[in-house]
Amino acid sequence: MSGEEDENAAELKIGDEFLKAKCLMNCEVSLILEHKYEQLQQMSDDPLNQVSQVFEKSLQYVKRFSRYKNPDAVRQVREILSRYQLAEFELCVLGNLCPETVEEAIAMVPSIKNRGRALDDEAIEKMLNDLSLIKRFE
Amino acid sequence: MLLILIMKVIANLGLCVSVYDIRRIDGGFIFPGDGAPTYTVECRLLVFRPFVGEIIDAKLKEFDKDGLRLSMGFFDDIYIPFHLLPHPSRFEPDLENGNRFRWIWEYREANGENEADQASGTVYPIDEIGETIRFRVQSVNYPSIPLEQPKDSKPFAPMVITGSLDNDGLGPISWWE
Repeated sequence: MSGEEDENAAELKIGDEFLKAKCLMNCEVSLILEHKYEQLQQMSDDPLNQVSQVFEKSLQYVKRFSRYKNPDAVRQVREILSRYQLAEFELCVLGNLCPETVEEAIAMVPSIKNRGRALDDEAIEKMLNDLSLIKRFE
Repeated sequence: MLLILIMKVIANLGLCVSVYDIRRIDGGFIFPGDGAPTYTVECRLLVFRPFVGEIIDAKLKEFDKDGLRLSMGFFDDIYIPFHLLPHPSRFEPDLENGNRFRWIWEYREANGENEADQASGTVYPIDEIGETIRFRVQSVNYPSIPLEQPKDSKPFAPMVITGSLDNDGLGPISWWE
């Protein structure tokens, strides 16, 4: 818990746990949990077998707050965002919230404008445009 | 056996939602005095683990003079204390609704003049239970399990998120649409 005071995504300081873990966007979690849900339904001999409440409600949440539903679109989103030298959690916040303007993006993820980053406004705008194209053709 | 972990908050890590995959299973030894074999399982877990600075959408669950409480459905120990509401906010009776108390954010344009001379600004209420509210994670705490709990106290929350609404784009999403 002593690590908590130093942790601050705005300065790209994240807890040690994050170094080994993979960060997932809501739309990715949605695909994983849906797949898992189908597996559990098939495997279960007992038709009354319920998945845990946390599992069901998590699935509900990520489905509701996913901007992209189609697995190919989700893959494309990750691929596009990965091209921009973003930290994993920056990528996930952008993929979850899909800001429409550069100002919005910087307000949500101020670390993308930290000194020394290679991300200028033009690059951010291109990235946001690419994301909205995927949305349009999903 | 992995069911023990699901729904559990692992201290300093987060809320375990599901097993992602199993990478290795070792063992099968039976320890003296045990009725069953013990295995060591290496697996990857899907964990809800918010980070400080993350922007999250959640629903308004309840509110009082101390602030707001939000819920994501599977997790509802999210608190926005009154000092992290947008400035300036007040908790006051709603004249059009039986004087029920609610939180109000009064937005005033800064135009360089003495603010006290300005006509009152635009009032934005936060009062619809269930409305979606966007917040920034201010801190995540894992309080230690209390040895005793007084009878009527709230159930123990092993993970508590404190959030802030004090920034552009935060608060009810209806404010920004």
